[in-house]
Amino acid sequence: MNLIDRYVAEVGKHLLLVKGRKDIENELRSTLEDMLEERAQKAGEPADEAMQMELLKEYGAPGRVAETYNPNPYLIGPRIFPFFMFILKIVVAAVTLGLTIATGIQIMSASPMTAVDLLSTIGKGLLNIVSACIAAFGNLALVFALIERYAPASEFKMDEEKEWDPAALKKEPEPDDVKIWEPMLAIVFTFIALSIFNFNPQLIGIYYLDGNKWHVLPLLSEAFFRWLPLMNIAWVAEIVLNGMLLRSGKWTTSTRLVSIATKLFQMVILGLLIAGPSILALTPDSLQAAGVNDLEALNILETMADKGLDIILGLAIFGSLVEIIKSIYKMVTQK
Amino acid sequence: MANTESLENVVLELRRGVIVLAALSQLGAPEYGYSLLKKLADLGLDVDQGTLYPLLRRLEAQGLLESVWKLEEARPRRYYVVSAEGKKLLPKLKKEWAGIVSVMDKMLS
Repeated sequence: MNLIDRYVAEVGKHLLLVKGRKDIENELRSTLEDMLEERAQKAGEPADEAMQMELLKEYGAPGRVAETYNPNPYLIGPRIFPFFMFILKIVVAAVTLGLTIATGIQIMSASPMTAVDLLSTIGKGLLNIVSACIAAFGNLALVFALIERYAPASEFKMDEEKEWDPAALKKEPEPDDVKIWEPMLAIVFTFIALSIFNFNPQLIGIYYLDGNKWHVLPLLSEAFFRWLPLMNIAWVAEIVLNGMLLRSGKWTTSTRLVSIATKLFQMVILGLLIAGPSILALTPDSLQAAGVNDLEALNILETMADKGLDIILGLAIFGSLVEIIKSIYKMVTQK
Repeated sequence: MANTESLENVVLELRRGVIVLAALSQLGAPEYGYSLLKKLADLGLDVDQGTLYPLLRRLEAQGLLESVWKLEEARPRRYYVVSAEGKKLLPKLKKEWAGIVSVMDKMLS
């Protein structure tokens, strides 16, 4: 096998999926031999390996030469790529939402649960989501690659190619439009909060290692759980509101009113939490039982925790108030 | 540097646009790829092999060219010639080209 044969074979390796590969190889060989013959005639000496080397170097790397013969160099071409991305987003969102809800149900049904169980269930859930999304991406890419290869442009037309109407151009993004992932995330996290506070409240606490055993020091007192039914109403309202946003895709007067009512209700609950007895279960006694013996430090810690919590709850009330004012302003300025 | 590159790119685009017409116009009689390449070069149009050969295959797939393998000097060569459909198309393309030249002449004069 001379150098030209080896070169042609190398180009052929890059053309395995191209129709008429043998034909291309034969034509390439014939052309290279013609060119070599012409060079040899000009030089007045028979073609040798050095001449072949020079010719092939000028002709170009086999991969690059093969590329010029490939009529369809894309796995998923620009014609169907936007459609691929559109479907991919829907599939990934659906897989993520479905598996997150499944993990939430698993956490609720496994009550009571230890912190290690909870972390392991959440970890497994996250891994499932990642692997399911990768698998969905792979399968979808495979389907679209097949469409790209076997549905010629003349036979497979995208909707916009059939009849395109300039009136269908997307308008400027409306300020009232809702990004789909925002209500989805809100639902997922509210759902998690609901399941932990109602079914596994023992998980909320400070964890410490005593010898080889993990202990948990409850963080929230009875005073907190007294308000749980009210909080449940607020969380369910939050889920309903985000469900409405998912459905309508934009903020409307009704969703804004529901949002204002929910925020007001949350402010009332936060106010009750501040005004009532301490919602922290961390007392000098409980901390002492956990092995902290410096009494003065315990008193300072308790005061700081109570004050800090009041500041956090106060900030949350302020945040809700800002949200309410923003909603009212948008309702007033809405076209 | 950037200017030279831009000029080269634009010239390349311009040439690419005329190669189809140039090739069809020179294939009234059968030619094999390399002979066509030299013929075009002799007439003043240098075309890269990597552009011409795939183009010939594409024009054949579109039915504008026909090809046949012939054994010459112990070497098989693939000869291309304009098909009946290509012959019908060529005058229309020439007319289109004349129109483009006339418009551009007006613009550039």
